[in-house]
Amino acid sequence: MLGAVVTLGPFLLSLMTALKSPKQFASEPVLTPPDPPTLSNFAELFGERYDFVVPTVVTAQVVAVILVGQLLFSVFAAYAFARLSFPGRDPLFWVYLATLMVPQVVTIIPLYAMFADLGIRNTFWALVLPYVFGSPYGIFLLREYFRGIPGDLLDAAKLDGAGTLRILWHVVVPVSRPILATLAIITVVTHWNNFLWPLVITSGRQWQMLTVATSALQSQYNSNWTIVMAATTLAILPLTILFLAFQRHVVRSITITGFR
Amino acid sequence: MRQRRDTRTAYLLLAPSLFGISAFLVLPILVVAVLALQRWDLIGPRTFVGLDNVVEVAADGRFARSLLITAVFVAIVIPAQTVLGLVAALLLNRGLRGSATFRVLYVLPWICAPLALGVMWSWVLAPTDGALNALLGRRVEWLADPVLALPSVAAVTVWTHVGYVALFFSAGLRAIPDTVHEAATLDGAGAWQRFWRITLPLLRPTTFFVLVTQIIATFQVFDSVYALTPDGGPQGVTDVVAGRIYYEAFEQRAVGQAAVMALVLFVLLVAITLVQQRWFARRTTYDLAT
Repeated sequence: MLGAVVTLGPFLLSLMTALKSPKQFASEPVLTPPDPPTLSNFAELFGERYDFVVPTVVTAQVVAVILVGQLLFSVFAAYAFARLSFPGRDPLFWVYLATLMVPQVVTIIPLYAMFADLGIRNTFWALVLPYVFGSPYGIFLLREYFRGIPGDLLDAAKLDGAGTLRILWHVVVPVSRPILATLAIITVVTHWNNFLWPLVITSGRQWQMLTVATSALQSQYNSNWTIVMAATTLAILPLTILFLAFQRHVVRSITITGFR
Repeated sequence: MRQRRDTRTAYLLLAPSLFGISAFLVLPILVVAVLALQRWDLIGPRTFVGLDNVVEVAADGRFARSLLITAVFVAIVIPAQTVLGLVAALLLNRGLRGSATFRVLYVLPWICAPLALGVMWSWVLAPTDGALNALLGRRVEWLADPVLALPSVAAVTVWTHVGYVALFFSAGLRAIPDTVHEAATLDGAGAWQRFWRITLPLLRPTTFFVLVTQIIATFQVFDSVYALTPDGGPQGVTDVVAGRIYYEAFEQRAVGQAAVMALVLFVLLVAITLVQQRWFARRTTYDLAT
């Protein structure tokens, strides 16, 4: 019970603050509920001065494109590793696994240099390219699952003359829905929350992600807490709703995968 | 014939991820090693300076200090969140009503952006109009006091991760068959004895998994520290390694030196992983099938 208060307390307090007028925030104690609750902070956040419309749209676009790429290319690679025999398979799989050990903070400097050389710094592609081709993590996760698909199922499809893409789409994907949903959730969470790479590779408003916009807002207006808390709510709330809607699934996927 | 077709199909399927992983994970490791030998300010030309950066980083006390700060941070965070997570899991697994709901609530912070949580907590811990001081009715400089800043940031990190750790322990606990505990009770073991002699040893695989993943993750902490204490905190007391690398490269524009630091961090993390894996392999896991 105490745990729940400690866990939820800060969330509720910041949500309450986001719903208060700056005047009420300044004049009344923290614990007083917003009276009346107002969406004016959010309206102001999306207004001309702070313009959170751009980062919200950019974040949604980036996450959507990465999600499609991750799922598609991770399925491809995982199927090859799980179900096809080819020379170099095992060493190659070890290379993929080894890349799991590469920390993000180590790769941002070289990636910045590479993207600067290519002249695509501060573009949509800069945000998306490093992640869109499938992650070693997702490939590993799916491979384990694909290995468990009964061979008869795949052989039957092959006998019917189905090509690899047809087999993937009509046999593998339908029987792998739970694990694909897990990977989808992990991908959305990871990239909605990503901060360091967007912070480094973008500048100015055009391609600003929500996390970066929230951070910039905090450093500029950190006495204006009602606005700042509205921004944090915006950075947190969509995922919280996703989480509550799929809680069973999310909790299960964390225990299966360790979620990273 | 079949074999050759399989090979071609396999490489076609692998092509996108092979490109992605080589270009954005393997190649960067090589590029960072090259950058470590160069001088670059993010815009101008890169000049080769050999081991100058290494010498400068070694001479720069701030990097050594940031390694030390990170080690202290890990040493505060890991025991605290492991013990608290285990306690929470033991309570959750008593089968009380609503345990499932609590389990969900505890994991909630894990899903949220560490940056956003950091910003949220920077308000909770703010000195004048922050929530915690308002509740306590006193003025404590949680984030601006050189003594309190690092423990405060560590506490926020622990808060974020406890539910996640509890979730794993909770799953580990459920994998222990009731019969094991029942047999021990019949043999006259008390609750405390059962915990130390049975539960804890049987949880060893879970404990190692949690420790390995969490130590690696905590060594790379950046987002929440950046939001809570920008610029390394009061007198640089929260200047963790990832933050130092970021500041060095993107604010000081000393890319070469930052690259050296990044390589040191990389080697350190690989070493930690390998040591832990050997340790893991040496320990036998208990077979619960019987």
